[in-house]
Amino acid sequence: MNTDVQIAIVGSAGDGTIAAGDILRRAMAEIGYRVISFDLYPAEIRGFGKCIARLRVSDEQAYSLKQKSDILVSLDDSHAIPHVGEAREWGAVIYETNSVNPLPEGAHLSAHIDPGQVPYNVPIRELAEKSTGAARSRNIVVVGYIIGLMRLPLEPALRALTGKFKGKGEIAQKNEAALRAGYEEGLRWFRLDDIEFGPPPAQERGAHLEMINGNAAIVRGALDAGIDTFFGYPITPATSIMERLASEMPKRGARLVQTEDEIAAISATLGAGFAGARAATATSGPGLSLMAEMLGFGVIAEVPSVVFVSQRGGPSTGMPTKHEQSDLNMAVFGGHGDAPRIVIAPTNVEGCYRCAGRAFEMAEAYQTPVIVLLDLYLSNRYETVPFPDRPPFEADTNRYADTRGGAAGFQRYVLTADGVSPRSTPGQPGGMHVATGLEHNELGRPNDQPDMHLAQSRKRHEKLKAALRHPGFEPAKRFGDTGAVDVGLVAWGSSFGECLEAMYLAQEEGIRCAALKVLMISPFPVEMATSFLADCKEVLVPEVNYQGQFAGILQMQVPRAVTRMTRIPCAPMRVEEILDEIRRLAGRVVEPQAA
Amino acid sequence: MGEIRPVYLEDKLKEVEDSGRLDYRSKALPTWCPGCGYFSIVEAVATALCELGIPNENAVMVSGIGCSSRFPFFINTYGIHTLHGRALPSALGVKTANPALTVVAVGGDGDGFAIGGGHVPHAARRNLDITYLLFDNGIYGLTKGQTSPTSAIGFKTPTSPYANPDRPLNPLLMLLSYGASWVGQSYAGDPEHLRSMVRQALEHRGFSYLHILSPCVTFDKTHRTYVNLGMQVHPLPATHDPADKLAAMGEAMKNEQAPAVGLYYREQRPTLDDALDALVEKAGGEKRGLRGGRGRKLR
Ligand SMILES: Cc1ncc(C[n+]2csc(CCOP(=O)(O)OP(=O)(O)O)c2C)c(N)n1
Ligand code: SF4
Ligand SMILES: [Mg+2]
Repeated sequence: MNTDVQIAIVGSAGDGTIAAGDILRRAMAEIGYRVISFDLYPAEIRGFGKCIARLRVSDEQAYSLKQKSDILVSLDDSHAIPHVGEAREWGAVIYETNSVNPLPEGAHLSAHIDPGQVPYNVPIRELAEKSTGAARSRNIVVVGYIIGLMRLPLEPALRALTGKFKGKGEIAQKNEAALRAGYEEGLRWFRLDDIEFGPPPAQERGAHLEMINGNAAIVRGALDAGIDTFFGYPITPATSIMERLASEMPKRGARLVQTEDEIAAISATLGAGFAGARAATATSGPGLSLMAEMLGFGVIAEVPSVVFVSQRGGPSTGMPTKHEQSDLNMAVFGGHGDAPRIVIAPTNVEGCYRCAGRAFEMAEAYQTPVIVLLDLYLSNRYETVPFPDRPPFEADTNRYADTRGGAAGFQRYVLTADGVSPRSTPGQPGGMHVATGLEHNELGRPNDQPDMHLAQSRKRHEKLKAALRHPGFEPAKRFGDTGAVDVGLVAWGSSFGECLEAMYLAQEEGIRCAALKVLMISPFPVEMATSFLADCKEVLVPEVNYQGQFAGILQMQVPRAVTRMTRIPCAPMRVEEILDEIRRLAGRVVEPQAA
Repeated sequence: MGEIRPVYLEDKLKEVEDSGRLDYRSKALPTWCPGCGYFSIVEAVATALCELGIPNENAVMVSGIGCSSRFPFFINTYGIHTLHGRALPSALGVKTANPALTVVAVGGDGDGFAIGGGHVPHAARRNLDITYLLFDNGIYGLTKGQTSPTSAIGFKTPTSPYANPDRPLNPLLMLLSYGASWVGQSYAGDPEHLRSMVRQALEHRGFSYLHILSPCVTFDKTHRTYVNLGMQVHPLPATHDPADKLAAMGEAMKNEQAPAVGLYYREQRPTLDDALDALVEKAGGEKRGLRGGRGRKLR
């Protein structure tokens, strides 16, 4: 039996909607299911304080949410009514018997349920009041109700509840009472045959499952890779990376400083990298713009450094709380001069962890700035991640120079076969040199002769190619049908999840379909992309920006016609839309969507 | 009248060689214009590092961009020649990564107070344990003589051909109010004084700011010349108490007429390193002996 259930809870800001979703997803993760979850907060939605918590529970890690939810809960009918259609046919719609305020005709959710949807009319408020003496715990009642209705064990939810409101005495007791009241009520009702929770999947050995969001996964990766210093300046949606590091780094004797701006943050990061530290900063588009000049310095002076970038709507201040993937060009090309750098973009939360750790390895191994590109959706979305019990990252990937007896002057930028010059760090006798942003010779002395400029430019470009074969890192990966396909999707970053979902649905409809996930965008995995594209009759490149920035890079590297699918809905791309595009490219007739 | 004894070049060379301070000079000869005030700063820093017995590999010279910022190339230690205005935040990174290093930030008046002006207050208030040597020639030397934030009102340059309309900053007063824990001024035309001030600045634990007046002999023939500075520069009054911040501010304000050299202000207070170590302790973490170099010990 396969478990694949999506639950959506709709309410207004004061209802504890997000908290209910959080308890539920933690409980599901504790039972052992895999979860993916993304919330919408008032700041992200037009209107008055509407909140939606969505979680998809399955036995294999899902890559995106589904278009339709199996269970839809209303904590506030005025907000939930427009979303009733989100519940699938034969899906459950759970709502309040007696609204908090008397409602005019038609304002009650019951009037909007489609035939085919299964209504669950629950006295949520009454249960809350009876069990706790107040209506406040309606959200907790609902959590209990769903767990009872689905015949799931209550203990994990209890633990999630105490974990969330730990040590709050009376409140904790009331919450527990509310949870139990909802649970008992749920048990009294017939479970829908159509919505099934099978036994949770077996746990992976040597790993433990945790539910975590993208930014927290970045932090875990950085800590597991032994980050020494972090310098940063707050900016949505990257701030929580810095906030978490601020509490975690001192516990490990590592150092974090909040700088006066992003220019200082990247300068200090490079200063620390020069001194031999594993150094990182985190920012969003506006901060990355400010860092552009200094990143160029990191490239020419060959200083290891890691920059985590979580994109949001742009340009300029743009839309700080909206999702977008429009800083790719900036990350890959930003700044002046020929300034190659490594850019990797994880596609899910587990990927955030791996990319963060590998970024430090790559920065040291190839002596370069490494940008890890996330976006608001990935930063904030929760997934269950099987964390390995032993971190998979190398603690030191430097190539050190032996500088003993080096009286003649240390050749910091000596030309080598693979372009990586053994380095020295301050404190190392005989390794003295100056790292400069001026073009330089092997000694690091300013030099603007054409031969030297060519040799050093070539070195800086060529050395990065080895990153495509970095141990433990796949720069690109193919999914779906093997061999020739009708439609091939090429996708990057968080959009890949929706693409993969759409690909599976297309396959179910009999369309031969495959998807290429591109994790490393600079340097570009040209060979893999070329052989993938050769298999595709039609190529679809969906991404959340106006210009089709990734498609542009793809076509620059592998010239051929592709269909750009660019959408800027200020939210993740819709699976349905991608599926329609696939159908169209496969020559299927596509019904126009109802407005 | 005592007997006049000839000085032989050979003896002088031997004296310099024996002092060991040449070990702190790199093989690259300074590329500055003959007569530029910056030469004496190289000499002062090399001498101070030598006198303090700091091993070459344990010092890092960090600079921005400008004639002055070429400095790290002429000293035989580690160095970073970063971007215009970014010496201080880069130094923050070096020092935070490896607190055992002696870190010296250097740069010009444009580098420090125009493009990089936003960083100065923060290095000072944090009491970042580095020395900041500000080479003030009142001009943009490297870009061939434009107006700087410390140029005098009325100064004519290629970007202010009629007259500079802006009044100059008062860096000493700024640094005092920013919270620098050591503030001093010296003059490139007085190498003895400069040497002693650089040494004191290096010895200070905390953020030491040394403002060095230095003529740009190529692009300023009228204002900050050796002749003019020679007449204006005078020592701080012998009665000045460097523990008295208000008095220091008063003296700094007088600079707008004629610059006084010497130690304006000095205080001892916890450095950024101290504060970060305290955080580690508070968090129950273990203090790492060494962050930079990842396993490489100093000395
Ligand atoms: C971002 C940037 N803007 C402008 C410049 C050009 N530039 C180089 S040095 C300099 C001014 C140098 O003046 P100062 O800092 O006083 O140093 P000095 O040469 O006088 O020692 C300028 C404007 C640059 N290198 N980078
Ligand atoms: S241009 Fe001026 S500041 Fe620059 S080296 Fe020449 S004299 Fe010195
Ligand atoms: Mg100047």
